[in-house]
Amino acid sequence: MVANLAAMSLHDLTAELRERLALVRQGGSPSAREKHLARGKLLVRDRVDRLLDPGSPFLEVAPLAAWGLYGRPGDGSPDSRPDDNAVPSAGLVTGIGRVAGREVMVVANDATVKGGTYYPLTVKKHLRAQTIAAENNLPCVYLVDSGGAFLPMQDEVFPDREHFGRIFFNQANLSARGIPQIASVMGSCTAGGAYVPAMSDETVIVKEQGTIFLGGPPLVQAATGEVVTAEELGGGEVHARTSGVVDHLAEDDAHALAIVRSIVETLPPRVGYDVAARPAYEVAEVEAPHEDPSTLYDVVPTDTRTPYDVREVIRRVVDGSRIHEFKKLYGETLVCGFARIHGHPVGIVANNGILFSESALKGAHFIELCNARNIPLVFLQNITGFMVGREYENRGIARDGAKLVTAVATSVVPKFTVVIGGSFGAGNYGMCGRAYDPRFLWMWPNARISVMGGEQAASVLATVRSDLTTPEQTEAFKAPIREQYETQGSPYYSTARLWDDGIIDPADTRRVLAMGLAVAAQAPVPAPSYGIFRM
Amino acid sequence: MAVPESRPIQTVLIANRGEIARRIIRTCRRLGLRVVALHTDTDRAALHAREADVAVAVGSYLDIDEVVAAAVAAGADAVHPGYGFLSERAEFAAALDAAGITLVGPSAAVMEQMGRKDRARAIAVAAGVPVVPSYEVADDPASFAYPVLVKAAAGGGGKGMRVVRTQAEYADAVAAARREAAAAFGDDTLLVEKYVESGRHIEVQVLGDTHGTVVHLFERDCSTQRRHQKVLEEAPAPTISEQVRESVTAAAVALAREVGYTGAGTVEFLFDNASDQAYFLEMNTRLQVEHPVTELAVSVAGRSPDLVELQLRVAAGEPLPFTQADVAITGHAIEARVYAEDPWAGFLPQAGTASYVRWPAGEGGGSAGGPADDGGAAGSVRVDHALVSGSVVSTSYDPMLGKVIAAGADREQARRRLVAALDETAVLGLTTNAGFLRALVASPEFRDAAIDTAWLDHSEPARPDQAIPLVLAAWAEAAHHTRDAGAGPVGADPFAADGWRLAGDPAPIRVELEGDPLVRLTGPGVGEVHGFGVREVERSRLGPGETWHLQLELSGPELKPEDGTRHSAYVSSARHQVEVAHRGQRWVFERPDVFGDHVAAAGDGTLVAPMPGTVREVRVAVGQQVSEGEVLGIMEAMKMELALRAHFDGQVSEVAAVVGAQVALGAILFQVDPARPAPELAAPPAPADVITEEPHDQRS
Repeated sequence: MVANLAAMSLHDLTAELRERLALVRQGGSPSAREKHLARGKLLVRDRVDRLLDPGSPFLEVAPLAAWGLYGRPGDGSPDSRPDDNAVPSAGLVTGIGRVAGREVMVVANDATVKGGTYYPLTVKKHLRAQTIAAENNLPCVYLVDSGGAFLPMQDEVFPDREHFGRIFFNQANLSARGIPQIASVMGSCTAGGAYVPAMSDETVIVKEQGTIFLGGPPLVQAATGEVVTAEELGGGEVHARTSGVVDHLAEDDAHALAIVRSIVETLPPRVGYDVAARPAYEVAEVEAPHEDPSTLYDVVPTDTRTPYDVREVIRRVVDGSRIHEFKKLYGETLVCGFARIHGHPVGIVANNGILFSESALKGAHFIELCNARNIPLVFLQNITGFMVGREYENRGIARDGAKLVTAVATSVVPKFTVVIGGSFGAGNYGMCGRAYDPRFLWMWPNARISVMGGEQAASVLATVRSDLTTPEQTEAFKAPIREQYETQGSPYYSTARLWDDGIIDPADTRRVLAMGLAVAAQAPVPAPSYGIFRM
Repeated sequence: MAVPESRPIQTVLIANRGEIARRIIRTCRRLGLRVVALHTDTDRAALHAREADVAVAVGSYLDIDEVVAAAVAAGADAVHPGYGFLSERAEFAAALDAAGITLVGPSAAVMEQMGRKDRARAIAVAAGVPVVPSYEVADDPASFAYPVLVKAAAGGGGKGMRVVRTQAEYADAVAAARREAAAAFGDDTLLVEKYVESGRHIEVQVLGDTHGTVVHLFERDCSTQRRHQKVLEEAPAPTISEQVRESVTAAAVALAREVGYTGAGTVEFLFDNASDQAYFLEMNTRLQVEHPVTELAVSVAGRSPDLVELQLRVAAGEPLPFTQADVAITGHAIEARVYAEDPWAGFLPQAGTASYVRWPAGEGGGSAGGPADDGGAAGSVRVDHALVSGSVVSTSYDPMLGKVIAAGADREQARRRLVAALDETAVLGLTTNAGFLRALVASPEFRDAAIDTAWLDHSEPARPDQAIPLVLAAWAEAAHHTRDAGAGPVGADPFAADGWRLAGDPAPIRVELEGDPLVRLTGPGVGEVHGFGVREVERSRLGPGETWHLQLELSGPELKPEDGTRHSAYVSSARHQVEVAHRGQRWVFERPDVFGDHVAAAGDGTLVAPMPGTVREVRVAVGQQVSEGEVLGIMEAMKMELALRAHFDGQVSEVAAVVGAQVALGAILFQVDPARPAPELAAPPAPADVITEEPHDQRS
């Protein structure tokens, strides 16, 4: 499989990504979609398109969530393929787009996917969207069409801190922070789901289509014997005229979305955004890179083991392909420098080989500079790890690595991470992995992520086993470990589990970073403060 | 100018407004004369008042005493009356004469003579000019060659006029016409004459000086008219033979001589297509609206004549500086009158502010901020107008906004140039007939000179289709949305509307206009709208607002070959609508208003003023039962009477209309509550009917 990956060019890998995205973007099964349309409802991505300003870009978050999960696994035979797309996009479309001239976070259920019910990953994705909204002060628009929790998996959906209840906790707290919460009920909205509209600041419902109730007609009949239709129980007319659970009654999907647009238009300027105040930093005139980003495919080798100069990547991402490099001659395996992306100043931290003490110190220094100057950080991650060995340990590489990790962890400026190659071991921490709260983390389709390489893991594990006497035995032991690491190191394995915010076309790196920077630019940045750097 | 010492003209007062006042000012400026303009309160900021050396306020352009007093006070030597207003009022000529001021026009006596149709006819007969065969009212109707027209001697405008097709109808028609004539003019004298079923309006431009010289500048054809309102005029007449031309011009000169005519005048003829005969109709003792076609089609001693200059020279007592032998037809010219009216909606008069105005490039045309590409036809296009961006058009005065005139070596060249000129005529904010004119000039009927004086009363040119204007609007809107996308891989704003999707095909740009057209951009300036392939040729912003000039190259199966590939438009984008001027026609595409359906709209039982105007009659009172179609009241606006009819049976619950009151467009006049909650409620409110019905008048 390693050989396989190496054989696929970045071009091929991107084509595969586009194919898979096209597949999940279709939503549920053809019959489910037909049924949905027959009810006069719009498909979820059409709803999003109509909600957004005409032609607005949409930075979709984790469209491949749940990829390869939940479906019937393949049994290994040639004609049995695992059902990777059993729950497309985890039944939820999330992303940032522009509505009435401002960026909003859209969270939209796909009722064609298991009735829009919440799988564990659906919950995680919903919460991730709310986190992004919270960090960047983005109003939230919920397009609700969901049957609530996926009951067979209730133990993974309902009880824990980061489970279903957290959605409403977040709604309340986002609202408390002045981040508008707007819901449009465009289908069922049952049980816990009923709280999405109820917890929102302003709510729309579609007539004879949207329903909101804590308990549906079957439950009501079971509990009290009362026989009632869904429309009588919690239809649009009821909630708009009688219960007051919603504020606007819409004729159909298009009308509801137009009302939502109209609501967004009435919102005050973003929280923390003081138009009179000087922006956190000056946004310069935009300059296209001199090197066309689409030539990235040609300069990046797919095999993570093949070295190349990461400056080739930087040149295809930053304005004018220009970088003001910091400490170019010191700690050369980490490239640090100031540049601009779409006019936004950025500090770029990019791996150009394994991390040594010098590179770690250089990186920590550079991150301090960016914090002192209020310059967002962009990590281009392609790291197999810190250097190991007696010499390095004895010189205290752990100490220097800790300085880098401390700087990354306590950094207050917006951070963005793109995994453009390997993401292994402590290098992941020093280069702002998911655990270090980058505002966004994207992966290229050639990325690999695991605690160490499969070969190394297999060797390490083989070494601690005393019962492996022959090379054949050792190989037989190591093969499945390699295989496991190979599978779990895949960007699809990662993105399915929300370890990232999506796999991107490498040529779009500049674009998504610019969108992230634009979104992050308006949230206030606190003053920097650090812990103890181990000296 | 060299003027005889006896009657020097140094200061000219223009007793008019609008395009004609501006056109007279142009000549006065060229001749170095001082100009005094008049203006009413409404016209305080009008162009003609601003362009004059002095502007004097008057209560009305029609008040003879006021105008004469203004002329005296301003020290005017001469008054140019233009057309309309006081231009053919003998009392005015007499009053000026008494004040020692020269009228640029004929004497009061000549006006008097020509002002009455019966007298004018008698003079024509005396001068040997052919007249429409006529009969005495008391003659035996059995001896008439039907159809005949019975009309008031003193009248005009179709009042007191009846077409009689059989002897049996004659007595009733005479009685009715007599009643109307007496009511309208206080004079029930009637004329009976042959009624020409299919005729052309031919008129001859004459000029007489005070030294006894009378010449003609050939003829014009003004057959394209609607309810006697001329729409298109041209020179020379396209269908008459040289023999007819000679006969009408000679007759016109003879008539002018007979009355001792001085200045510029027009002798009108009705040309009977059936008999190839031209009959004298009447003489207009003033400059005609359509005089530019003569100026562009005729040369005098090798130069284009300026009729206003010649009028002023004659008024100053100079002899005409040329003879008949110096006058020749050297080309062809066609004029289109641009009115504030909507021809596709019953010619309803329009009023409002012209937010953006662009006249075609050429003499008098072009607009600040607009592209000046005239396609090489400059010099062949002339625009006489009084409308610029920001002008307010009221219903107080004549709705003519301007005239677009194109000249060519022959009729077809002039016609093609006029089509092109009308394509470049754009008025936004206000609907005009420019699109109708364009369609008319481009029509095969006009091309073949097959439009007679009655044609527009029963036919109309092909209505323009909204498909292409909608494509233009959608493209402009999409361009507007994506304008920040800029050049390069990604522009300044990463959220600029290029439809970007993560590793997917870009989403089309949905333009929120009627039908939500989808614009797909396939490259810079290239895309697809509604099945039309689009290539952007030009897009430029006009002035500070959201008004754009757009030129697209269209392709694809939706495009009809006759429409051509290149389409130019002026597009103005506002919060609630997008306006497009395409090929002269203004289109308004509304954006859906999400809360529109929450607003209780005036409709159903509510009768609103369909246009700004005056309430003439109120026929019902509150509480009265009315039936569907019953006339509740009558409004008058411009020259039209509008009946306001109940949309269904019911009871009048409100009468807001007051006789004599000026009402704005959309003002609620009556409210009718339905007799039953009928399904009629769902029917759209019927438009007010135009009840003006006139017989086909042979006169202009």
